[in-house]
Amino acid sequence: MNTSAQPRKRRSYPSSRIIQSIIIHAILLLFVFIALFPIYLMFNAALKTSAELFQSFLALPKDPQWKNFGFILNEQGYKGALYNSMILSTSSMILTTVISVLAGYGFAVYRFVGKQWLFLLVLTGLMVSETSVLIPVYQLLQDLGLLNTYAGMILPQAALGLTFGVFLMTTFFKDIPRALIDAAVVDGGSDLQVLRYVIMPLARPAIMSLALIEFMWAWNSFFFPLVIATKQWLMPMSVRIIDFMGRFTFKYDMIATTTVILFTPILILYLITQRSFHRGITFGALKD
Amino acid sequence: MPRFNIRPYIFIAPALIYLAIWIFYPILNAFVLSFFDSPTGRSRDYFWVGLGNYTKLLQDDLFLKSLYHNIIWVLLSIAIPVVLGLLLAVVLSGRGRTRLVYASIYFIPQTVAAVCAAIVWRWIYDPSIGPLNWLLETIGLTGRPWLADESIVLIAVNMIGSWSYYGFCVLIFMAGLQNISPELYDAAKIDGAGAIQRFIYVTIPLLRNAITFVLVYTIIGSMKFFDLIFVATNGGPNEASTVVGLRIYWHSMREGRFNYAATMSTILTVVILVLSVVVIRQIVTEDGD
Repeated sequence: MNTSAQPRKRRSYPSSRIIQSIIIHAILLLFVFIALFPIYLMFNAALKTSAELFQSFLALPKDPQWKNFGFILNEQGYKGALYNSMILSTSSMILTTVISVLAGYGFAVYRFVGKQWLFLLVLTGLMVSETSVLIPVYQLLQDLGLLNTYAGMILPQAALGLTFGVFLMTTFFKDIPRALIDAAVVDGGSDLQVLRYVIMPLARPAIMSLALIEFMWAWNSFFFPLVIATKQWLMPMSVRIIDFMGRFTFKYDMIATTTVILFTPILILYLITQRSFHRGITFGALKD
Repeated sequence: MPRFNIRPYIFIAPALIYLAIWIFYPILNAFVLSFFDSPTGRSRDYFWVGLGNYTKLLQDDLFLKSLYHNIIWVLLSIAIPVVLGLLLAVVLSGRGRTRLVYASIYFIPQTVAAVCAAIVWRWIYDPSIGPLNWLLETIGLTGRPWLADESIVLIAVNMIGSWSYYGFCVLIFMAGLQNISPELYDAAKIDGAGAIQRFIYVTIPLLRNAITFVLVYTIIGSMKFFDLIFVATNGGPNEASTVVGLRIYWHSMREGRFNYAATMSTILTVVILVLSVVVIRQIVTEDGD
């Protein structure tokens, strides 16, 4: 029968597609595994005893050692470090976000002399790293008597995310229809009213994104706190972790517990607000 | 010409003043400091040495080595996570909602603090009790002392960086691909372009913005990184993984040679600036063709 060619064709077409699709899914899943496996190991190790950890990395803990967390936070005094991390991240997040929203409004809504140059000047801040400014910042803090203070830790940290913040807010605010702003101005709205009642409600998702990203950066920050907060009572979690490694060499269950304590708040925040994170990160990259 | 209006300046002033204090002044100050030296590290003891610090730096093998490691790090970061991120984004771009799930998961390592990542991977790499060697030996391969072997330590640490970075690249490229209209692919298909040709002649040129951003971001990140290497190896073994950031920290905070460290900072800033401008101009010039 001459119809025999057709079914064969139909059969081979989907099967090659299925194979292709299986390969693609295998690759995609491989990278899911790569992304999550170290994190699984970290949580797993945190809930085991040293002895159990030594027997197997992979098996789930037979008797989860929740008391590891109590031991680290209370007996080892890491509660204070967690509190310091909270102060550092919240303050620098608020500082950066407020200043960025104001500057974004200025850059996006107004036309003024030197605007391009000033915006470019702000952008050069993106190329500056903590290591490039370390010495002058350190000496400045020393002169101001701010070494080993909360302010000394927060102020330079907030500056690191500020360029990104101004850039993000400016690009977002530019997308807000001009007519809405003009209408508010015609109605006699002041700048702050326009910002409060027109821009902020429309740009709330963008401001959320910025605040979240800045919070995460400050929470995970290490270099400035390491240099500026050398007194144990002031160290945020990210720095005290290091101090811990020295004291508990090879006690990987304890080391893992501290990393889990540092990571979990950010993980939860990310899982709840992924879209906000993604929006902030991709928007900044692709609008120019 | 619009009437002069003070108001926009009032709105941008806090940002500019803040950046001036904590970013711009320190950059310029580091530059100034690089022409002085001081036996005590205190500003009242400064004396002018001209280019003395720079000539010393050029003879400082450890500094040159560290700069070389930073450059290697840039190349590794482009070769592994950036390329991987691009490929994964292309594969994902054809899918519906599942691509967002994948991208979200790939991004999770990016939310892990570099310090945490370094600690966890130190354990994973541990030659005697770490999971990686155990895994390799289980499937019949031999393990290695990953972070203690001078010949592979830099690559081993870069793997940690790549682990946390590829998801970020996927996200950026995926967003870039969203802006490409499917009709372009259809047109290329009709013209007989295969998958690889479509990738090279349609995808890459249209992703120009995303690629520029990722490359510049990668260069900046690779030149200035510190946390990861500080915790993972602290530059060891035998300085085989030292980078400029570590040298700056070491000379300033441990030895108190602030002026020498400020010279390194200045060079770092210049290198970042030059590399970024080269990449941006290269890609912008291609735009003109």
